[in-house]
Amino acid sequence: MASSSPDTHTRALPTAWTAQENLENIAEALNALETYNKKDASKVVVRFKAVGNAPIMRQNFYKITASNRFQAVIQFLRRELGWKAGDPLFTYINLAFSPAPDDTVSNLYKSFSTDGHLIVNYSTTAAWG
Amino acid sequence: MASTLGPRHGAASLMATSASTTLFRRLTWEGTVPLEIRVDSKELPANSNRGLECYFIQAARVSYLPLLVPDVKKFLVDVVLDEEGAKILKEEDWWFEAEDGSPLKWHWPIGLLYDSHTIAATIRPNHTTDPIPLKLVLHLALPPTDKLLLVPSAEACKQAFMGQLKEADFIRWGSTKRMTSLRKAEQDGIWEGIKEHNFDDYWRVASKVTPTTIPARSQSPPPGPGSLHTRPPSVDPGTTTTAPDKDGASSVRSVPVRIYLPDGPVLQELAPPLLDGERPHTVSRFLTSTLPLLFPETGKRHAYALVQGVVCPPETELSWLGACMAGADGWVNICIGISSG
Repeated sequence: MASSSPDTHTRALPTAWTAQENLENIAEALNALETYNKKDASKVVVRFKAVGNAPIMRQNFYKITASNRFQAVIQFLRRELGWKAGDPLFTYINLAFSPAPDDTVSNLYKSFSTDGHLIVNYSTTAAWG
Repeated sequence: MASTLGPRHGAASLMATSASTTLFRRLTWEGTVPLEIRVDSKELPANSNRGLECYFIQAARVSYLPLLVPDVKKFLVDVVLDEEGAKILKEEDWWFEAEDGSPLKWHWPIGLLYDSHTIAATIRPNHTTDPIPLKLVLHLALPPTDKLLLVPSAEACKQAFMGQLKEADFIRWGSTKRMTSLRKAEQDGIWEGIKEHNFDDYWRVASKVTPTTIPARSQSPPPGPGSLHTRPPSVDPGTTTTAPDKDGASSVRSVPVRIYLPDGPVLQELAPPLLDGERPHTVSRFLTSTLPLLFPETGKRHAYALVQGVVCPPETELSWLGACMAGADGWVNICIGISSG
């Protein structure tokens, strides 16, 4: 039942000070986002482990920048192995799954590291699908 | 369709899952978002019906862009292209571009692409809160193989999907045993369920790897016979125990959850279902510990959490989200939007 009071038919516009408060709130939030957007420059230890016939590298432990995507790790591994882009290379975490190439090393390390390092298995054939 | 095996026989069945869990799983499954797919007109062959090369679709949140390709192709062949044009279509060269010009992450579920676009809008000035279609450009040629991390074929999409399911499995239990113990037909079946968008086909297999949840609190004694619990056959039904169900949502090591910031990074943190083994971990507590600047313990919060397009009440339990509102790949995707006041 519509009230006869005129006030209920109008939406009160924000007063000047609440609009200002709004802007401040959003600015605060944007500042917070800036902080979280900063790339994590710290390095984490990645341990490469060969699977099956894949060659074992002379050096297996590497410090990799945490903000790198996993794709960068794959490319790094290819270079260390001296393999070309077309050569088959399959990578897994903890012999269990293949992460998405845009997963960050930081996230993978936080979720899956053991004994202070992230185990990346590599193989010339698809092992765990 | 639904298994007639009772809970005691262990086969996780839709009948043994609580009605509200099934309801929310179905709601999540049926969710759709509006997409506007425009074909790059520079790549249209001669004699194409220009001006019609925009394809609008209400796409399933749990589906993937490469799975839309057959429908888009049919549209192009029926409406836009002439016979000659249709003959030279090479789907393997197709790729999607976002409005900002970057190649789209086609391995993300469509719902996540949309929610990510929604929260990105919250940091732009004068944005509208009306739902607007996610605008994509479909290129028919010259995929930027250096920037596209993987070629968006349906097969690559399936592999990426299975990889995410396994990663989620590992997050929950510390191994991928549940996924790898699925028969090949079942693993293929779960993807078929996505391709055909069939809820029953998908959940027939998914219920074997996705934790379920019960309406009662996890500390209460297990309900009697006719229970809505699922129990593995090895558990002696005669044992009375107040321990949570071994396969239940509160028994996982961590709920598979990722946090998406507007135009920003993706964060993955361990999210145990119970804090101190007792209190259910909630969205509010999780976000306070992960993003304290945006979700301070006390004081006004200028951000909100979006899951499957729904604003999440702060007291929502993470274990419940993991059981009921995860994506089809097993992951709970929390998109953080900035409130406008």
